[in-house]
Amino acid sequence: MNVRLDKKDLARYPFLKEAQGFVLSMDIPLDSLIRADTAAGQRIIHTGTDRLIRALSFGKGGGETDLDTPDDEILGYAMARLIVSCLGDRSMMDRLARYEAGRAVWFLETEEDDIRRYIAESLGLDPDADDMEVVRYIELASGLRDDRWRLINRDVRKGRVSVRTEELDALIHERIRGVIRGQLPLQVPGGICLKLREHIDRVSAVFQQQMLEEFGDIDESAFPPCMQALIAAITAGTNIPHTGRFALTAFLHTIGMETTRIVEVYTRAPDFDVSKTLYQVEHISGRGGTEYTPPGCATLRTYGLCVNRNADCETVQHPLTYYKRRKKREQGKKDN
Amino acid sequence: MNHATLEFLRQRFSEYYRKGTLMTPPSLEQREWGFIFFDISSDVRMRRHMAFQTPDEAITYMRSMVPAHVYYSTAYYALPGAATMNDKIWSGADLIFDLDADHLMRGPYDTMLLRVKEETVKLLEMLIEELGFSEKEIYIAFSGGRGYHVHIRRSDIREWGSQERRELVDYVCGIGIDPSIMMKRPFTQAGWGRRYRRALATYLKGFRQLDREEAISHLRSLEGMGSRSKRPETLYDGLDDLIEALESGRRITLNDKILRILTGPGNSGFTTILHEQAARADEPVTTDIKRLIRLPSSLHGGSGLRVTPMAFGELHEFDPLSEAVVFGETDVRVDLAFPFSMPMLGTSYTLKKGENTVPEALAVFLCCRGIADLSEGGMSRRA
Repeated sequence: MNVRLDKKDLARYPFLKEAQGFVLSMDIPLDSLIRADTAAGQRIIHTGTDRLIRALSFGKGGGETDLDTPDDEILGYAMARLIVSCLGDRSMMDRLARYEAGRAVWFLETEEDDIRRYIAESLGLDPDADDMEVVRYIELASGLRDDRWRLINRDVRKGRVSVRTEELDALIHERIRGVIRGQLPLQVPGGICLKLREHIDRVSAVFQQQMLEEFGDIDESAFPPCMQALIAAITAGTNIPHTGRFALTAFLHTIGMETTRIVEVYTRAPDFDVSKTLYQVEHISGRGGTEYTPPGCATLRTYGLCVNRNADCETVQHPLTYYKRRKKREQGKKDN
Repeated sequence: MNHATLEFLRQRFSEYYRKGTLMTPPSLEQREWGFIFFDISSDVRMRRHMAFQTPDEAITYMRSMVPAHVYYSTAYYALPGAATMNDKIWSGADLIFDLDADHLMRGPYDTMLLRVKEETVKLLEMLIEELGFSEKEIYIAFSGGRGYHVHIRRSDIREWGSQERRELVDYVCGIGIDPSIMMKRPFTQAGWGRRYRRALATYLKGFRQLDREEAISHLRSLEGMGSRSKRPETLYDGLDDLIEALESGRRITLNDKILRILTGPGNSGFTTILHEQAARADEPVTTDIKRLIRLPSSLHGGSGLRVTPMAFGELHEFDPLSEAVVFGETDVRVDLAFPFSMPMLGTSYTLKKGENTVPEALAVFLCCRGIADLSEGGMSRRA
């Protein structure tokens, strides 16, 4: 297909190889821009930092783009990827990828047909297909939350899954997210990261603050029923399986409970063993290098841990979302 | 288990490992291995984080060490022998489905084996007819215990994480179904739409066996139905129509609220029927991307049976109680802890508590299971 992409198109879809070609073919390469303290360099660094901060705050993207300075937009994208790579935090990379995908799809919704088609195809998706291979479908849809995307709720036959035209944008979103996330972290020379230090610190501070605001003080009454059930089971002296302990520990850790308090929860278990419990809790909380996030509702269901579902459960796909919402609501009640 | 029994088993296993045909998995140098040895203490220890460079190395190790259980990783690692999971550097994993009769029923061993085979057949049908996997990429093995392992090796799904694998295992197990979506699914083709509607029809037909009052009171007792509502009466009176619509694939006019009450997780009458439509694989095994699995061609130390690989077409005729048996018919005297009967190698055995003379193959099985010990001088006739 012959499609001419102009600068503004590349600013809308900076993950396209054409946009990366633009970055590579600049008169002054990006790393020189960063190293030399020029006004232009500083401007791009700021654009990139702001972009990453928007991503971390779950900004919606598209509307905040200034298409009058397409060069800055394209370079800002490249800069945001550099900064997040220096930071090395997986959840930040996840959020940036999600932000970029959302931003691109926001533009795609009103995009001219030939460009839409070109972008779908350049991402390896056939814009005209009414079905796709099961394994390709799973790769795209397994990250989508709504029940209607679960393979079991789809029309599946002979290795193919039916997909309706209006579902294409959601799948393109997932594809872009996957492509961008898969490229991160970039290999960034240490000198560049050092040069970006103050901007990296700014991003880090925003992220910290946001995490604190999201969770804040621990409020047991806002725990989802599955987590309450696990705590109740431990309190009653029931021996719960490893999957249950894992889910509860990861949940408690993520909402900000300290290790010692988590261990306290387990003191009531029949096979309680301080050193073993401490080891397990520390392991799940990331002492061993990997910080585990608590499983979502789908996993909890798979493990038979999704119990006592209530009306609020129907509206969430993750126990953390349940907790955040419930807590906000409780907080609202108290404030009134 | 006493020392003599332990020694007997180790000798029998040793003979098998010396003469038997041993296999190793593809990409052997990227796999982690784990072994459990014959040990008198009840504290089970696995020697894992081991790696081999060649099939010969692995086979020589098994021949000289005579393990009771042999496992290898479904995962591929850059450094499979590294001491911690993080240092191994994961690069992918085979897709595994584990079917275990323990999750399906309780009963005599041979009955359990038959039942779990049916479940495996259901799984394979779904994998091939619906999910599009090909016979060539599917490897089946009798686990040596109470079930079957299905390994799928395909490069394009090797790097999948748990989330992607969960889509497949939830599909075969029937987890996460949205009832209203099922009602809209075409009924004519194989798949969950048809299975779901069929299960609901079967469940509803049960009410036709009851008289009106009984049926209505049962419907009223379902969680969420409400004690005063007229819903149970309306539902009962429209039952024939509804069943007919479910079976013929016509549009269903059932209101969403009632549909959710009927199909809710609390209604075991329905969920049991629905589960029969699924292939109940053990979900955590499929979503675990760093699992160890028994080596096909090794012996299962809890039964003495061979972890038996088989071609796709062989499953139907496969009888674990003869084809997975590797030991002979020499007489061995064993002391049983309780009376026990089971078939093996085409003969049915009914054994009393205490001393019995049985063929070696059965003796190995009983000792491995911990049901029997070798009698004093139990192997004397062999000399």
